[in-house]
Amino acid sequence: MTTATQHAYDSYEALVEDYFEKGWTDGLPIMPPTPEKVTAFLERAGLSGDEVLGTVPTREVTCTAEQAAANAVMAGCLPEYFPAVVAAVRAHLSPKGNCHSTTGTLSGAAQVVIINGPIRNELGVASGAGCFGPGFRPNATIGRALRLVIRNVCRGIPGFLDRASYSTPARYSFCFGENEEASDWEPLHVQRGLAPEQSAVTVHSLMKMVEATDFTSRTAEGVCDTLVSNIRANGIAGDSWLGEDGNVVIVIGHEHHRFFIEEGWSKSDIQQHLWPRLNAPATSAADRMARIGKPEGILIVAAGGAGMGASWLLLPHLALAITEPIV
Amino acid sequence: MELEWAGVPSIAIVHEEMRGSAQAIARVSGCADYEFLTVNYPWVPIAIWSKEECLELAEIMAPKVLAALTGQN
Repeated sequence: MTTATQHAYDSYEALVEDYFEKGWTDGLPIMPPTPEKVTAFLERAGLSGDEVLGTVPTREVTCTAEQAAANAVMAGCLPEYFPAVVAAVRAHLSPKGNCHSTTGTLSGAAQVVIINGPIRNELGVASGAGCFGPGFRPNATIGRALRLVIRNVCRGIPGFLDRASYSTPARYSFCFGENEEASDWEPLHVQRGLAPEQSAVTVHSLMKMVEATDFTSRTAEGVCDTLVSNIRANGIAGDSWLGEDGNVVIVIGHEHHRFFIEEGWSKSDIQQHLWPRLNAPATSAADRMARIGKPEGILIVAAGGAGMGASWLLLPHLALAITEPIV
Repeated sequence: MELEWAGVPSIAIVHEEMRGSAQAIARVSGCADYEFLTVNYPWVPIAIWSKEECLELAEIMAPKVLAALTGQN
């Protein structure tokens, strides 16, 4: 049963145009959040509409399950995606997810949703070739649902509380899965304390994406050198409020992953190898300290397709990466 | 394929990771059965290969190219 105000329209086109007019979309058409669909989404997640998923105290915002469901419908989600959306909203709205800062910042930080566990394959979340881009409904709509919640519930509207100088296309949607089947690497959510059979999302606040290309290395250590030099070219300042728990996400591409597997490197081996090198003192403006408090703060994720000798560095904005189980 | 159409015996060599796109190009070009040779690991698909890697690969591929062009494969 929905408690939201209901509007009647003569046609789908009239509804979409009115939503554009009212500023309820990200600039793209939406699906109508009918009471029936919103109820179906809530039932799928086993939630009542008034359950609170999180708050943004600085904005006087409380996000309920019903609001999240309406935005998930609008984003084009299927009902079975909604538990993942709920987890993403909860993660983003946790205190150290720092919604107010990461969605209001001049830098235009984006929110990355990384999906782990069995739900990836159940929903068809892309984790291989093309997984950062268009063409995959779960990736496109789960990430978009979080962004619509940020806009329509958390008031992250450009020119209002969203003060980004440029913003980024990653703010339409940025969601992908970890390719857990690529190797015996411990999946991200297991590294963060959850059981392998538990599905989960990790929401990471993204300041900047850097492609770390390396077509010449043929060893794990050589790839690590490339990762370090690319991260240190940007630097990571760290933040006293976040303390020692800050993160950087490194998405290891297929061709680089191959070298780690051949040489028997685990994720932990990579973390231990990278950590002192990232935290070493700066030597120049182009070689800066990347301040990560602990090796475990370096989050290693396997994803992407074959071909390019590249990994991606998801450099953080002022928030922790938050892992939340999908229930 | 264009060389073949121009009457020049030819064979394409692609990396195994590009097999799918090579097959797609062949299909949209009306030559779904077009044959090509593949290179696989340890030769990385997009990489700066050393001279030694190139020579080693050439020694492996040359007989295959010859066999394909002379119909002996």
